[in-house]
Amino acid sequence: MEPILKFDNVSKHYPNGVHALKGVSFAIREGEFVSVIGPSGSGKSTLLRAINRLIPISGGTVWLDGQAVSALRGRSLRQLRRKVGMIFQNYNLVYSLSVLQNVLHGRLGYMSGVKGVLGLYSEADKQEGLDLLAELGLADFAYNRASDLSGGQKQRVGIARAIMQGPKLLLCDEPIASLDPSSAKTIMDLLRDMARRRNIACIVNLHQLDVALKYSTRIIGLSKGEVVFDGPPERLDDATIERIYGTSRENLMMGGNCDDPADTADCA
Amino acid sequence: MTQRIPLIARDLKRLYTGFLIAAAALFVLCSFLTEFNVMTLIANGDAFWEFITEDFLPPALPRASRIPGVLDSVVVTLALAMSSTTVAAILAFFVSLFGSEKVSPFPRFAKVVRGFATFLRNIPALVWAFILFSSLGIGTGVGFVALCITSFAFMVRAFVETMEDVSQDCVESLQAVGATFPQRVSQAILPSCLSGFLSWYLYCVEVNIRASTIVGMVGGGGVGLTLFSYIKSFQYDIALSIILLVAAMVIVVDQITGKLRKELLK
Amino acid sequence: MNVDLTREYPMSQSRAEKRERGKSRIPVKCRQRNRFIPGFLIGVAALSVLSLLYLGIDWGKMFSRVPDIGLVFWDLAHLDFSNMDLILSSLVETISIAVLSLLYSLILGVVFGMFAARNVFRVPLLSVATQSFFTFLRAVPTPVWVLLMLVCLGMGPEAGVAGLCVHTTAFFTKSFAQSFESIPDETIEALEVTGAGRLSIFCNAILPAALSQIVAWAGMRLETNFSECAILGMVGAGGIGYVISNSLQGYDYGTAGVAILLVFLVAYCIERVFVRIKKKFS
Repeated sequence: MEPILKFDNVSKHYPNGVHALKGVSFAIREGEFVSVIGPSGSGKSTLLRAINRLIPISGGTVWLDGQAVSALRGRSLRQLRRKVGMIFQNYNLVYSLSVLQNVLHGRLGYMSGVKGVLGLYSEADKQEGLDLLAELGLADFAYNRASDLSGGQKQRVGIARAIMQGPKLLLCDEPIASLDPSSAKTIMDLLRDMARRRNIACIVNLHQLDVALKYSTRIIGLSKGEVVFDGPPERLDDATIERIYGTSRENLMMGGNCDDPADTADCA
Repeated sequence: MTQRIPLIARDLKRLYTGFLIAAAALFVLCSFLTEFNVMTLIANGDAFWEFITEDFLPPALPRASRIPGVLDSVVVTLALAMSSTTVAAILAFFVSLFGSEKVSPFPRFAKVVRGFATFLRNIPALVWAFILFSSLGIGTGVGFVALCITSFAFMVRAFVETMEDVSQDCVESLQAVGATFPQRVSQAILPSCLSGFLSWYLYCVEVNIRASTIVGMVGGGGVGLTLFSYIKSFQYDIALSIILLVAAMVIVVDQITGKLRKELLK
Repeated sequence: MNVDLTREYPMSQSRAEKRERGKSRIPVKCRQRNRFIPGFLIGVAALSVLSLLYLGIDWGKMFSRVPDIGLVFWDLAHLDFSNMDLILSSLVETISIAVLSLLYSLILGVVFGMFAARNVFRVPLLSVATQSFFTFLRAVPTPVWVLLMLVCLGMGPEAGVAGLCVHTTAFFTKSFAQSFESIPDETIEALEVTGAGRLSIFCNAILPAALSQIVAWAGMRLETNFSECAILGMVGAGGIGYVISNSLQGYDYGTAGVAILLVFLVAYCIERVFVRIKKKFS
């Protein structure tokens, strides 16, 4: 099976001299649920944004669905971007618009310029958006302002917007970092189920090691811009964790394996 | 130990002492340079008071035949401020889209756009008026353009700051969706920033009401010109009633814009 | 709430039915919309169009002279440094007037701001009277004050300083009073119960708490004062504005160019310094 996404020796350095990615290579196939873990500043966010070229890379090639991302400009870049849904830590919704309008933003990549500018979505799109909202348990909120929602609800709108694109790949940048533990669980469950049902590959940046272990089929560990681990969660041993985070497992805040049962319930 | 116990942190104290010393030094220096002395002002107080009571009071109305002209000039000033701010705001909106690295489709030119606006902004409106008067001649149209230039430059800066504060995140998300630049503008920037933009617009109307009176004095027309001509011809009592009229105009506009701004940001 | 919702937007099933009949469209916008903004926009647009019509500017004539602007700028760009000593001395004078009027107004502003703030002396009548008096002073444009001072005091920097002071003091009174009033009543109460007098409460609690805001206001005002000061000359109060208007009227564009450039540079420096200070304080 042809991989949907392939990183080939990708590097990125910023003008201020920071090397965010150093020779990163890996490939992702359909239906995989990949967690990217690593300490802050290890290049997780850059890695994600290199995929849909929100950040241009400095070396190597990113292959997305058989196309080299860095070669694309203008219209073809936008056509590529609509195959990739993205979910953000801060939800990145337009808070003065309705929930449904925010969800329909996912269709903008498919629409002609003028129609998109005026927000004239097709009836089929609107119906799909409403159905999607119902599936995510937000049917009653379709016509509320996005600013009136709680954090977990906002993130569900973010998921709906990404799914609306009909993506082949879903990028999630710290999707649960701003959420309380119970909303975080809802969001992670939804992400996994949605991706599984629609056979979408998923790449999730995570700070929570226990969440990564629980949900992913594969984990990529980044440290200082280099891939130091790439494999199924079972193979992630304490020595590797120490290599990723630069400190031993005991010094990490872990919900999953500490003795406090309440904590476990929250995160697991 | 004769040292006194300090009441506030040392560095803070040093900062404030520094400010005080700098202010005092500047005060002495500037007083010396301009030979300005408060005492002469106070010594002149009597003359000032006499001038106010004898020449100014009581306020007198201009001749009845002139009254419609005066009222017309007030409307001209208001119209000048209103229309120039609106035109400037529309231009500033489109230009400011290219003035922020995070929003513009050509991030490299964002600095150029902002630098241009800074240049226009830091030359006072009246200087622009004078430059334009010497090329376009005197008239309302020139006053209009002069007001446009400064409020345009001001609003470009304000709009860029509003955009970077408010809509940076949602612009990124629409970029990820594959939306075109016009789509990003209409679906993300406009809905999230509109009330912020309009609030700045109202502030600019306030500023321009005053500025259009001033530009009027040097040849831009309107109530400023009328007032100036009365002062120049030593008809201070009539000038006073026009001053009162201008003050009333400014206060009323301030009240209205204040109310509208509250409503906008609700 | 939910009942309302179903009435206004029937369940998706019935909506699908309706769509089959091809009559109604699915709405996308918010249920509770801000109706104020569209009305506001329409009102502003209408007023602006009316204003433009009322002004009746002869655009054809204006545009036909646009090339002249280019010529003037071309002439301005031929900088002429021969009058440098005059330009520099008037620039120094302008800056001095701006600084002096700022410093005097700062002191006056604190005193009058004390009267205008409701929580210092707690005499409502005093606050209202002070505030309305200064609102009036603020509403009269600065050049008018300068012109009046010119008539009383004669030509010279005194008229400039005094004229600028009126407007600046009025501005400071209003903004300082606002800063003073933003101090929580509890703080003042806590000092009241210790038996401190009104004035000592002001000096020891209210003023120090508002100090950083006062510095911010002063910085902002310096910018405005400098640019207003530069325009003073145009009504005849001397300084760099006088040089600019005089040399423009005498077709001495080279000198005017240098003077305008210097005005720009000073204004730009003040702005940069102010941005720095603001960053430090926040």
